[in-house]
Amino acid sequence: MQSIATVYFLTLRSLREAVRNPAQEAGNVLIPLFFFAVTVGSIGSIAADAFGVDNFTGFQVPVAILAAASSISASAGLGTITDIQRGYFDKLLLTPAPRSAIVFGRIAADGVRTVAITAFIVAVGLIFGTGFDTGVPGLLVLLVGSFGFGMAYSGFNAAIALRTGSPQAAAAGGLLLFPLIFLSTAFAPKDVFADWLQVLATINPITYVLEAQRSLIIEGWNGLDILWGATATLGFGVASFTLTFLALRWRTS
Amino acid sequence: MSAIWAQGLTKHFDEVRAVDGIDLDIAPGTIFGFLGQNGSGKTTTIRMLTTLLRPTAGSARVDGLDIRDDARAVRRRIGVALQEAGLDDIQTGRELLTLQARLFGLGGSAGRRRVQELLAIVDLEDAADRAIGTYSGGMKRRLDLAAGLVHRPGILFLDEPTTGLDPISREAIWRYVTQLSTNDGITIFLTTQYLEEADRLAHDLAIIDEGRIIARGSPAEMKARIGTDVVTVQVPAADHLDRAAEVAGAVAGVERVQVAAGAAVVYVPDGARAVARIVLALDDAGIEVGDVAISRPSLDDVFLEATGHHLQVEEPQAAEGGAA
Repeated sequence: MQSIATVYFLTLRSLREAVRNPAQEAGNVLIPLFFFAVTVGSIGSIAADAFGVDNFTGFQVPVAILAAASSISASAGLGTITDIQRGYFDKLLLTPAPRSAIVFGRIAADGVRTVAITAFIVAVGLIFGTGFDTGVPGLLVLLVGSFGFGMAYSGFNAAIALRTGSPQAAAAGGLLLFPLIFLSTAFAPKDVFADWLQVLATINPITYVLEAQRSLIIEGWNGLDILWGATATLGFGVASFTLTFLALRWRTS
Repeated sequence: MSAIWAQGLTKHFDEVRAVDGIDLDIAPGTIFGFLGQNGSGKTTTIRMLTTLLRPTAGSARVDGLDIRDDARAVRRRIGVALQEAGLDDIQTGRELLTLQARLFGLGGSAGRRRVQELLAIVDLEDAADRAIGTYSGGMKRRLDLAAGLVHRPGILFLDEPTTGLDPISREAIWRYVTQLSTNDGITIFLTTQYLEEADRLAHDLAIIDEGRIIARGSPAEMKARIGTDVVTVQVPAADHLDRAAEVAGAVAGVERVQVAAGAAVVYVPDGARAVARIVLALDDAGIEVGDVAISRPSLDDVFLEATGHHLQVEEPQAAEGGAA
């Protein structure tokens, strides 16, 4: 019970921090939208003929969502480091609150922030005609998935922040997702890839997160895609939270 | 039962022995001063006693609870204000105290009342709804102190609470600390590098140097142990210092002489009478004498006697201040 209360109070604190730092939140939205616009603008018109994707704008919405999650988690990593450097993290550790709950407050806030930005990106997509094939229920599933992915990916940056205490390392941590995005089906379906890239995309969990989100937006309900996406997100979460616990244990030992 | 007890408390960082087997036994309700210069092991000791660091060896109990086995219970019973005021610049003072109260299980109207009470105690009511980033250094320290008191702890750890503060802010912190001890009976473990602070606040004092406690007692007891006046003779020529110490040491009545910071520090009963003999002896030996001062023993003399060097105070580069 105390863990849940701690996570709740510290999530509110992190969200308040985000609201009071609008420039940072604007960056988290605008940079993914910039790449979204450039990608759609540059190859959107040939996507149907080149690799059979009719709704390339909708095809790109999940990429923008994942890029935003990456940006959010990097800024949260920096926030953790600021807390460490200012001594506020120690102040939190000096309370009787469970230490893992202290870290998860910020991670949960990242999940909420990812949900908010996902909703915004979907709205932008709708304005540009992406549609949303699974309707409101599908949107709710997408938001739940974004919450999970936002938290799971944030765990990696929390681990980096706790282990290194370095702002540079935290900033670099946010970029770790980009190689995975480029090695996934972010820009084209897998069947047009070279053989070696097909192999990498197949073993890349980001591919399954993207496919699940895409199915909701442009394909309609596909239980298998959603299951694979959820499994990949869960795998991310298990890996990142394990690293977070280890880093927290190291920092407090 | 001791409020704080430690035996052989030790912390090593690789090859560095930051704290090297210290023993503590602090009575409830006292202000315990832990005096030492930067890097002497004060902060490492406080971080172990407050459960932020695990000791390498030894054991300690705070309010009867083992710092390793009962760490969470220890944290419920202590308040802590660390050396750097650990605050969040984006929150307001009230928000920070409210969050702190909630993390200690004090929510709702009881929490709000306690926060208001603390804001009044540390004179921050007017600034309570401003972002902490706009506070002066003195205000941040007061807020940090309030955050440490939100759950009414019986034991309060203060790690260099006035370092870098201007005299007015320092005086305000001293006043709060004294009130907490006198009015509320809180046991206070206070680290400091300021002799005046230790002398003025501490009922009981330990001097730590290079990770070891080298003197222990009340400030008055420590000074009385020296048992003599202190005659400090400045010697302008550095290469004459050792010779000056030798000559002064041979003067009748002189108990001992130490060389420190360009001076011969002479311990002698009835310094007012002895000073003429000391200066004459130095003059006869052809040693130029600069300023001469006679004093009753101070904590600096206690520190010098115990360590062989004066206490070096290091202020932060950008001293913070402002009581407003």
